[in-house]
Amino acid sequence: MTTERSLRRGEIVLGLGVLALGLFVAIQTWSMPETVATAAVGPKLFPGLVATGLIVVGLSLLREALAGHIAHDGGLELDWPAAALVAGALVLQILLLEAVGWIPAGTLLFMLVARAFGSRRHVLNAVFGLALTVLTFAVFDYGLDLNLPTGSLFERLLGSGEATE
Amino acid sequence: METLAALGHGFSVALTPYNLLWSAVGVTVGTAIGVLPGIGPALTVALLLPVTYNLEPTSAFIMFAGIYYGAMYGGSTTSILLNTPGESGSIVTALDGHAMAKKGRGAQALATAAIGSFVAGTIATGALTFVAPLMVKLALMFGPAEYFALMVLALTTVTAVLGDSLPRGLASLFIGLALGLVGIDLQTGQARFTLGIAELLDGIDVVVVAVGLFAVGETLFAVSRHRFEKEEMYALKGSKWMSREDWSRSWKPWLRGTLLGFPIGALPAGGSEIPTFLSYLTEKRLSKHPEEFGHGAIEAVAGPEAANNASAAGVLAPLLALGLPTSATAAIMLAAFQQYGIQPGPLLFDSNPTLVWGLIASLYIGNVLLLVLNLPMAGVWVKLLEIPRPWLYAGILIFATMGAYTLNNNLVDLVILWVIGLLGFGMRVLNVPVAPCVVGLILGPLAEQQFRRALTISQGDLSVFVTHPIALSLLVIAALLVLIPVILRSRRAGDPEGTAISH
Repeated sequence: MTTERSLRRGEIVLGLGVLALGLFVAIQTWSMPETVATAAVGPKLFPGLVATGLIVVGLSLLREALAGHIAHDGGLELDWPAAALVAGALVLQILLLEAVGWIPAGTLLFMLVARAFGSRRHVLNAVFGLALTVLTFAVFDYGLDLNLPTGSLFERLLGSGEATE
Repeated sequence: METLAALGHGFSVALTPYNLLWSAVGVTVGTAIGVLPGIGPALTVALLLPVTYNLEPTSAFIMFAGIYYGAMYGGSTTSILLNTPGESGSIVTALDGHAMAKKGRGAQALATAAIGSFVAGTIATGALTFVAPLMVKLALMFGPAEYFALMVLALTTVTAVLGDSLPRGLASLFIGLALGLVGIDLQTGQARFTLGIAELLDGIDVVVVAVGLFAVGETLFAVSRHRFEKEEMYALKGSKWMSREDWSRSWKPWLRGTLLGFPIGALPAGGSEIPTFLSYLTEKRLSKHPEEFGHGAIEAVAGPEAANNASAAGVLAPLLALGLPTSATAAIMLAAFQQYGIQPGPLLFDSNPTLVWGLIASLYIGNVLLLVLNLPMAGVWVKLLEIPRPWLYAGILIFATMGAYTLNNNLVDLVILWVIGLLGFGMRVLNVPVAPCVVGLILGPLAEQQFRRALTISQGDLSVFVTHPIALSLLVIAALLVLIPVILRSRRAGDPEGTAISH
């Protein structure tokens, strides 16, 4: 259960985040090397304006979080473990994609996300995920000439297989 | 006459069997994806972008136009039967549309939405045909200062109009602007905010950001709310046809909705949210049965749905004639143009009339195809709503990661997708609108270019923005849009409840 108080905390995090982003852009802008002043406006002015905007908005968000009204009066229930599972599944996808290839990595993503939504039919989910990833792989790699990764592991296996022949 | 000749040429392009095929593919896929809950037109266009990579531009954009219109039609089905509007323009449709579905009049609600969309779409496309060339003439008088002012106005309206709090809208906008800074500065060749990552030199792709916010963020929000929300689906039953009374209560709202939707969509005034709300209020005031509103009044579906589609056509006018996107969907269409190395704007009408007029002509054709596709086949699309949620969202993420990866074939885009997805989740929880972020990301760099061009011409004199009358008036309008609500709010300061308008 996410109460009004923790939503308010969330708003404070948002305000601080925007403020921090503003400060980051400001510092980066300052530390940019000077360019030869041929153009009337260098590459620094616009980022400077964006940084100022971020800082002002961050401060007013903080003010609103502490004193003003917030979204969802009365709180909003959120299932954090489920959200974390989906976010984790995406991280796994990033780590595995180029090593094991699109089809296994995508199937795993499909299964984990389906699990996060409460489905316990793992075998059926695996079959569906496999079908979807095989289909997209076929359409994209052969039909549309785009490259979804085969996976370096398999490429090495296939490559060494060819070498021994 | 000149316009009609150009349009005729457009039809000769769009009616070739090859392009007709792509238009049909576009509207079918657009409707199918648009019907899926949780997917609005912006995400539909973003997800289907990779499919068009190897088409030649004219066919690709004819397909895109079909996807765009198809997604608008599909979105209304979801809001009516499931009460989950896929984008802000369908929120109003969901109010009475879902109430009609509850009463067993879902088929009539879908019919008035489809026919209304056809009527509005066709009239508004006609208006687009004549307004776009006028806008081009206007745009030829614009210098960099005017363009910059116009972009500021577009950014302001997208921000000020959406959401219930100005700071939240501005936060979204400035995050988008900050993301837009990343990459090589076009005028000096200097790398900015790339954190030393080579893949970031080209900047952050608007498609990755849109997919991150709309697909990943939305899925994270949906999974976190899944246990707490019950969906109510209403099957179609009874007569599929609209009765004589339904027709007589629908046709005026269709026309009035069109009249509201097109101009507001065509002005840089923040897309479809305002015209749909205005249409609802107008119909309620004019109706003989205002007490039915909120409980399934057919006017309240017919009017806003027509307004929604008319504004979708309206949005294309500034996009094609000025290169100015005024909604998240238009921002992604602009990104699609840029991927082909095409910059929409007045010059495009001269340099590539085949593409521009072929696209506009295909909108007329797409509308007819959609009417055929939606009226008799409504039952088929409804089946798509029954896809179990675990598979639906797992599938969305499969396509989201695939789209992000195939953009540049590197994992950096997937990492950005993840980060933006978490950001989108946070924004969704805290009711921060995401459209300003997407529009800010794509308009920010364009605005900066015009800003610097203007100042280069004036040799650094900032007064160019004040001494050019068009630029000045645009900037004044933008400032008023921000200031008036603030002033109104401070007048009502004693009434904190009154300021909280939640969706």
